[in-house]
Amino acid sequence: MTPTEAVAALLRAHPGALFVASLGTATSALRSASGDGPHLYMGGSMGSALAVAMGVAEKRPDRRVVAVLGDGESVMGAGSLWSLAGLRPANLLAAVLVDGHYTITGGQPLGVPAAFADVARTLGLAAEVAASEADAERLARELLGPGLLEIRYDERIWPGPSPFVDSALVRARFEAAAAP
Amino acid sequence: MTGAGTWQAELARALAEGGVEAAAWVPDKRLAPIAEALAAASVPVRTLTREEECVGWAAGFRAAGGTPLVLMQCSGLGNSLNAIGSLVVPYGLGFPLVLSMRGALGERNPAQMALGRTAVPMLELLGIQAFRLRRPADAAMLARGALAVADGARQLAPIVLEPDLDMAR
Repeated sequence: MTPTEAVAALLRAHPGALFVASLGTATSALRSASGDGPHLYMGGSMGSALAVAMGVAEKRPDRRVVAVLGDGESVMGAGSLWSLAGLRPANLLAAVLVDGHYTITGGQPLGVPAAFADVARTLGLAAEVAASEADAERLARELLGPGLLEIRYDERIWPGPSPFVDSALVRARFEAAAAP
Repeated sequence: MTGAGTWQAELARALAEGGVEAAAWVPDKRLAPIAEALAAASVPVRTLTREEECVGWAAGFRAAGGTPLVLMQCSGLGNSLNAIGSLVVPYGLGFPLVLSMRGALGERNPAQMALGRTAVPMLELLGIQAFRLRRPADAAMLARGALAVADGARQLAPIVLEPDLDMAR
């Protein structure tokens, strides 16, 4: 499974959702899998994407929200797993794309345990691990919010589209997509 | 201190009446009366783990069409700089930010001084204007003005709670 295939599975599971992607691989994969759809792509702010998704989920409780997160992103913003367990937004799914590396900085190893589902369960969140596209799609659909899906992919292929997004354009398109 | 008519209550009331729908903070003693007044005005106040998270949460709430508020101590501004510089500023996702000052006139803790001295200059280096609240009577006016800057000009709009506020009592 490539990162783009992992994100494609999330899009099939939640075609009408509002997606937030962390910087780097997650943004490039979401741009690739969605044909550059009107999602909230992070050009920077590493570690903040899950918090951003919680803000979106709070404003739009009627919409499904999916946070597509890198593994390095998720350890940098690990406190947000605690906040997710505290706020418990019923409409939010956090999907962590795990390959054990900091891809955009040159592929350095993560250096810490990639135990996202285990930590989430300890915090009282619904959490699963998927290692195939079929499992990722099924579990993304089944997990009750707030939930965490750890997607372990083995083909470390750069998705393609640039992660350096036009932030004003991203915001304007997302605002329109998120409007009631 | 928390009762009606205090500057904290006036600030919270003006923010709520101006359209603030929800707030996030990391607890702080000086901000607590404002948080309590917001909650009393039916504005939910979310407790997150780190100020940078509050900035991310508010940016997302804003991007989804809402009017959020963040309350933080100036030391938390140091924790938030990258989220402000790489998310709030370039994406134009402004919101009012109530900033309580430590490390200012009257401070006894040496650990607070550096961030107190540099909080407003750091904001200015990021291109953000800080609006200083010094007189209790100005609380509602600053709240309305900060909301206009956040909503209309799409900028982060810090309301800096200067020590003069409490000394003026």
